[in-house]
Amino acid sequence: MLVKLSLSGIKSRFKDYLVLFSGLVMAAAIFYMFEALATNRSFIKANATFSVAPFVFQFGSVLLAIITLVYILYANSFLLSMRKHDYGLFMMLGAKAGKLGQLIFLETLVIGTLSVIVGLLAGWGLTAVVGHLLIQRLDATAAHFNALYWPAILITVIFFIVLFILMALINQRTLRKTPVLKLLKSTAQPTHVAVKPIRTAVKMIGGFVSLAIGYFVMHQIGVFQLAGIGIALVTIVLGTYLIFSSLFTWLLNRLQRREKFTSRGLNNFILAQLNFRIADYNRMLSMVALLFALALGAITTGMGFQKNIQTYTESAPYDVVLHNPTAETKKAAQKIDTKRSSQYTFKVKKQQVYFVREQFDQAPLYVQKNWRKDQIIPKYQLMSGKEMTMAEAPSWQVSLRDLLLPRDFQKDIKLVDQAEFDQLSGQSHTVKAIVSTDFFANLDAIKKTTQLDQKQNHSPANYAIGSTKYDFYQIMNSVLSGLEFMGFFLGIAFLAMLASCLMFKILSGAASDRVRYRMLDKIGAQQRLLRQAIAKEIGVLFILPGIMGIIHVLFGLQMFTVTKLLPEAYHDLWLPFLIFLVLYGLYYVLTVKLYQKIVLTKEP
Amino acid sequence: MTATTIVDVKHLRKVYGKANEKQYEALHNVTFQMTTGEFVGIMGASGSGKTTLLNILSTLDQPTAGSVRINQQELNQLRGNQLADFRAKEIGFIFQDFNLLENMTAYENIALPLSLQNVSAKKARPMIEKIAQTLNINGILAKYPTEISGGQKQRVAAARALVHQPSILMGDEPTGALDSKSAKDLLDTMQSLNQQQHVSILLVTHDPFSASYCQRILFIKDGQIGQELKRGTKSKEAFYQDILGVLGRNEQTGA
Ligand SMILES: Nc1ncnc2c1ncn2[C@@H]1O[C@H](COP(=O)(O)OP(=O)(O)O)[C@@H](O)[C@H]1O
Ligand SMILES: [Mg+2]
Repeated sequence: MLVKLSLSGIKSRFKDYLVLFSGLVMAAAIFYMFEALATNRSFIKANATFSVAPFVFQFGSVLLAIITLVYILYANSFLLSMRKHDYGLFMMLGAKAGKLGQLIFLETLVIGTLSVIVGLLAGWGLTAVVGHLLIQRLDATAAHFNALYWPAILITVIFFIVLFILMALINQRTLRKTPVLKLLKSTAQPTHVAVKPIRTAVKMIGGFVSLAIGYFVMHQIGVFQLAGIGIALVTIVLGTYLIFSSLFTWLLNRLQRREKFTSRGLNNFILAQLNFRIADYNRMLSMVALLFALALGAITTGMGFQKNIQTYTESAPYDVVLHNPTAETKKAAQKIDTKRSSQYTFKVKKQQVYFVREQFDQAPLYVQKNWRKDQIIPKYQLMSGKEMTMAEAPSWQVSLRDLLLPRDFQKDIKLVDQAEFDQLSGQSHTVKAIVSTDFFANLDAIKKTTQLDQKQNHSPANYAIGSTKYDFYQIMNSVLSGLEFMGFFLGIAFLAMLASCLMFKILSGAASDRVRYRMLDKIGAQQRLLRQAIAKEIGVLFILPGIMGIIHVLFGLQMFTVTKLLPEAYHDLWLPFLIFLVLYGLYYVLTVKLYQKIVLTKEP
Repeated sequence: MTATTIVDVKHLRKVYGKANEKQYEALHNVTFQMTTGEFVGIMGASGSGKTTLLNILSTLDQPTAGSVRINQQELNQLRGNQLADFRAKEIGFIFQDFNLLENMTAYENIALPLSLQNVSAKKARPMIEKIAQTLNINGILAKYPTEISGGQKQRVAAARALVHQPSILMGDEPTGALDSKSAKDLLDTMQSLNQQQHVSILLVTHDPFSASYCQRILFIKDGQIGQELKRGTKSKEAFYQDILGVLGRNEQTGA
């Protein structure tokens, strides 16, 4: 009988359960998605060239576990808030607390198990799709990447089952311990938070000082090394929390005193809502701000590595160099949008390679300029045959050698005039050096041409001493695209988790907000105004951690520029930021829509 | 003073339940008028349709058939935002369960209807202080609802209902959640509002004592207005006896 009643309760609130369920599924899916990378040691070893990578992943794992725990706690309080009233009623009707306890225990476990199963399936799909997309988009070499990874499944299942048993126990206890009347009346509302000036000032100063220490340590990461990451983490977590629990409450209170502002529309109501929300959300918002920073940081550095690839690709003067090109190779080369193409002939002796001086007067050669101090990659200038003397350090010899095949690398380079060249015995070879208008736009054609040339000349496909842009691109891409892939993957996982977390926390308060909005409706507030109020209120809750997160990232990137890991980390920041903010914005819109649906739908 | 009609209800019907569901007719051909400055009571047993009627009059719900005019405005002609605006301007409403926002002070609660109409803070302050004076709550304006008594809460709710000077004040069992002393205080206040400030009041109740404050009582039973009782020049006590009499007779016929 009770089971029947309970089931009918679920049925009547099916939509709310759907929200809850999809949230749990998402949590399990994201957790799995992350673990599929984090537990895959061979993947990490193959793709991360720096030694702290396993540490980073373990740290990420722990962080994600904590977040998931918090997330499940919120989801659970959402579940309880839905069930409390029903169970209170059953108790009023004479159902025994013990029996109801068993019921909620079962209910929690069933929901949990179902969501883990569906979550694993979703996680598998998600991992495959995201992984595939990234590998394709980035031309990445993600060796050993596997969407279906057993250890990750095992960890996810164990972690979630333990969590849900814990939740079930908590729920059972809550139901048993809470008096019936309290169950019937919805959860007690925190009402308003008064600002205590001295305490707020102390917190605010403490917050700023902690953040300053954290930012300083990140800037001096070269000095502090790994300990610096630990220090920064602690101080930034602390600082963020202190700022949230002081600065924003204080700002709200200041705003609330400005009558001009509060007397317009529902402004005062929104402030009042935010006032108690922010007190209630302090920890939550700090955590979201941090996650936001981590996620955005991960994506930004991921993109930074992409930029590194581009930067280092420009290390070479020529995009492709063809050696005695066949008709097929020439045809392939015609597909390249060419800016400059120079052909030179040469003859190979036992110890020497001879080029024709006049040919360089007609088509000058790119030669490396002197290295300046703040330069990251070499720069080139054109040099004619007349300038190629032995007087200066003959850097042109290096450039010419780079045009040759590996088998001739050891030989001396000589320049002779045409008459002398003709006298030399031996076969005459040609080399053709091509500069495209845009390497990345022509990547496909360049790749194909290079491969043809390599095949025809029997040169190894991946010799390490590359001398064309394509060679550099290949080397950098194999090293960095794995990191880039990880950055994106982590970023997306963190983002999805943090945004769902925020969404749930907000949605779990929706039930109690319904009453308030209903009342505003009764005294004649227009629906438009109510919708706006919701959008604004939730907007602030999304924007605050966002701003904090962005500031953290802007300072955190110092670690990468100072260590020269990403020398141009601050260049073109808008792109990763834009991508990230669009995703974050989508979550915001979704939350607002769901909230409006829960709060503004009139009950029959 | 010329007596104009403030509420004009004709052939009102309300059926709950959609066409394919079980239907229930909560109001059946209800017709009555109320003139400006009147203090009218609507009385009936629980489930007789009082709340349904009041929700329709206050534009919170739509009738199945019939017409309602409040202050000359036909409610049927209003849509969406117009309905909300009409509610905000013309109607003051007090609910049984106070309906105060617990995260705002009494003052801020009272100010809400004014800020909905974008009345400037400067203009709002004297209006709020005046109505607080009238309702004798100026001492608690800075407090939050959790910090004041039920009777005070209901006064704050009344102040919020009246601060923007609506054409009519409606109450759905506003004394229902109050102890008898607070209930009497509130009723006395409503009476003086009616007599001194000429506020039109429509009071829904099932309690004879509350009803005895009215000038005229409409008895509703099973969604229909049956009897009407006028106080005339009678004392409150005598009117109270009359009401009990009507209720007793209703019970006998009902049994
Ligand atoms: N939303 C609704 N849907 C269906 N029936 C309703 C609804 N609201 C009220 N009723 C029914 O209409 C009748 C009148 O209700 P109501 O107006 O609340 O009475 P009162 O306020 O006099 O106690 C009751 O029988 C009640 O069950
Ligand atoms: Mg009622």
